[in-house]
Amino acid sequence: MEVAAAESAALLELRGIRVHGRGRPRLEAVDLRLRAGERVALLGPSGAGKSTLLAVANGLLPPEAGTVLWEGQPPERSRRARRRQQARIGTLWQDLRLIEELSVQQNLNAGRLAAWSWPRALLNLLLPLESDACRAALARVELDPALLAQPVARLSGGQRQRVAIARLLRQEPTVVLADEPLASLDPRLAAELLALLLRQAAAPRALLLSLHRPDLLVGFDRVVGLRQGRLRFDLPRAAVDDALLQELYGGEGG
Amino acid sequence: MRVAGPVWMLLPGLVVVPVLLRLPQSFHGGGWDLIGRFALAAVTPSLDPTVLRSVAGGLGVTVAMALLGWLLSLLLGLPLGLASSRTVWRSLCGQEGPALLIRRLLAIPRSIHELLWGLLLLQLVGLQPAVAVLALGLPFGALVARVVADLLDALPVGTLEALRAGGAPTPAALLTALGPPLLPGVLSYSGYRLECALRSATLLGVFGLGGLGTELRLSLQSLEFRELWSGLWALLAVMLLLEGGLARLRRHWLMPPRLGLGRPGVGRRSRQMLLALLALLPLGLLLAWGLQVDPRVLLRWQPLPGLEQGDWRMVLALPWAQLVGSTLALTALAACLAVGLAPWLLLLVAPWRGGRIPVRLLWALGRLWPPPLTALLLLFLLKPGVLPAALALAFPNLGILGRLLLEGLDDHPAAVEEGLRSAGVAAAPALLYGRFPAVADSYLAYGAYRADVMLRETVVVGLTGATGLGSQLVESLAAFAWDQVLALVAVYAVLTLAGEEISDRVRRQLLGGPRAQEGVPQGLGWRGTVKASGAGASGRS
Repeated sequence: MEVAAAESAALLELRGIRVHGRGRPRLEAVDLRLRAGERVALLGPSGAGKSTLLAVANGLLPPEAGTVLWEGQPPERSRRARRRQQARIGTLWQDLRLIEELSVQQNLNAGRLAAWSWPRALLNLLLPLESDACRAALARVELDPALLAQPVARLSGGQRQRVAIARLLRQEPTVVLADEPLASLDPRLAAELLALLLRQAAAPRALLLSLHRPDLLVGFDRVVGLRQGRLRFDLPRAAVDDALLQELYGGEGG
Repeated sequence: MRVAGPVWMLLPGLVVVPVLLRLPQSFHGGGWDLIGRFALAAVTPSLDPTVLRSVAGGLGVTVAMALLGWLLSLLLGLPLGLASSRTVWRSLCGQEGPALLIRRLLAIPRSIHELLWGLLLLQLVGLQPAVAVLALGLPFGALVARVVADLLDALPVGTLEALRAGGAPTPAALLTALGPPLLPGVLSYSGYRLECALRSATLLGVFGLGGLGTELRLSLQSLEFRELWSGLWALLAVMLLLEGGLARLRRHWLMPPRLGLGRPGVGRRSRQMLLALLALLPLGLLLAWGLQVDPRVLLRWQPLPGLEQGDWRMVLALPWAQLVGSTLALTALAACLAVGLAPWLLLLVAPWRGGRIPVRLLWALGRLWPPPLTALLLLFLLKPGVLPAALALAFPNLGILGRLLLEGLDDHPAAVEEGLRSAGVAAAPALLYGRFPAVADSYLAYGAYRADVMLRETVVVGLTGATGLGSQLVESLAAFAWDQVLALVAVYAVLTLAGEEISDRVRRQLLGGPRAQEGVPQGLGWRGTVKASGAGASGRS
């Protein structure tokens, strides 16, 4: 009974989220549940509030009204406990937020900072730590382990995307949030990267990925449409048709 | 694997460990009650009208000296800066030789600390208000000249060449092509120089050249701590006011006007600056009149006793190796403390909201306190030696470095730190990983520049009888041994120039790497360029 309840509890749940904005609210009455193994695409035109929603989901932005539940729990009051909760939520930022001055390995280990003690954080700046785990993470994003010693600033755009995903894997999150990770990539690279992300989001983990291109929905389980801060639909992918998309993007000039 | 930048920022701070280990042996036992009274007096400064009146008078004199010395340094430094710029000479007559020559010559006044200038001039012409002004103006002028030249020579010359290729006469082309890009750097550096001038004017006062410094020293020596604090708080208020005002001016003039807010108007900024500059000149004259600065006294030299029968064998017999060695040790210790402690302090207070406020206050106090007063205060507790001198020297420099570090951190985008925080990383490691890497190189480069300044400043704490060349200098001055004084000043100059050369190399190494930052000029290090590039990139709201 207890086990079944834990399984059905959503990894991430938003209830009645409202975020204040200039003029109209940036988010209004948003409800969303993300269960283990689910891969959800967040669609919407520019300015619909996709980034805001993700910022609320990872705890960066406290909502004005509504509840965020992480693995069924509201954000803890104590900062330490809250950090432990946030460590279970990994975000793939649109600008990647890699530390340009550090090497690939140091960047990958930055994903472990939430779990690490202070001396270890310092030591990571001096010595190659946990090389095996880092090599494994690189292998999972199909990068050459020889890159570990390279400074991040020297990598190509595609390599940087993969390093950012590998850092996410090092964090070992249960929920992966991704903010338009495909926006600035050419079509082939975007498809490869999306496949990679979808593969990493298998069973105990869940994925919420924001997109502005409805042509990349293959492989997602559910699609959530956001427009002007409000949820317009939350449907299995098969139920999303052109008419629905037309309505979502309508009035934006295609 | 390459050791990452943030580690180099933190490494010098480890010097605290041996310092703390040595500290217990350095106490001479007494003095705690004095320190207690001193600390208590901080919250109960004297509000006696007589005291306040003399504080106000002293502060007025100090500020006036600082302003005049600063104006003089600009009047000297700006033309000399143009005259020592390679670009200017190359454009005007096709060769760089004269620029290099003038640069070399200017290195000499620059290498002698303003306090030394003050003491030497004091001996030459007696106690006159003009002495302090000149003592500030000469070395500062040479510094301004160097920075202006460095800034000028670091500018790209493409536009200049384009204008000249279009037939513009050289001076007009220089003005049009290089003037506007030069302005932000010069402005922000001049503002910084004004802050330095206020500190140095106080310092000169401590050594008897008048103004608030003199009163502070007298209060300290007569153990009138409450009066001392009245002066210190007043000085702090003026200093913060000045720093805040300059920061506002910088923002006002250097940030691009945001879209839609106010009409920029062609050339309005230049007109405002020109007006401000013109307003400064009568202000200077007024101040000079008020202070009764009389430039003519500078021509009436008193004969120097003892130079003609200089005993050069005695001079050679001074323990030079030991003097130089302890001066260098003092510099290294103070530099490590100042450079290393600022990032450590920020990391330590990172977990607390508002934790930066006490740190900022500590730094403001550090910038305000004349180091010889700190040294005197420390001597209540500690035996004279390298340690109290290094602590006294490190404190103000910690204040300066710390503020620059904060400004640098705030000028960089918060994205990486934010990302780490939202992944559950604690505040301090998020700061270490998210913000420090981006500023590490420029901070260290500025630290190298600061170390070279500290070498020059060892004279200031040495004069309080602590250690090294400075204390020898004080003895020689007291004994009117002019031969020794000259030799000591010369050694100081050589040391400073060598230090400058080394710190220049370190900086080039740090900043000239594969991801060379926007051509950080040498004399300025960091501050001006951060501001200037910030102005280009985005208006801070």
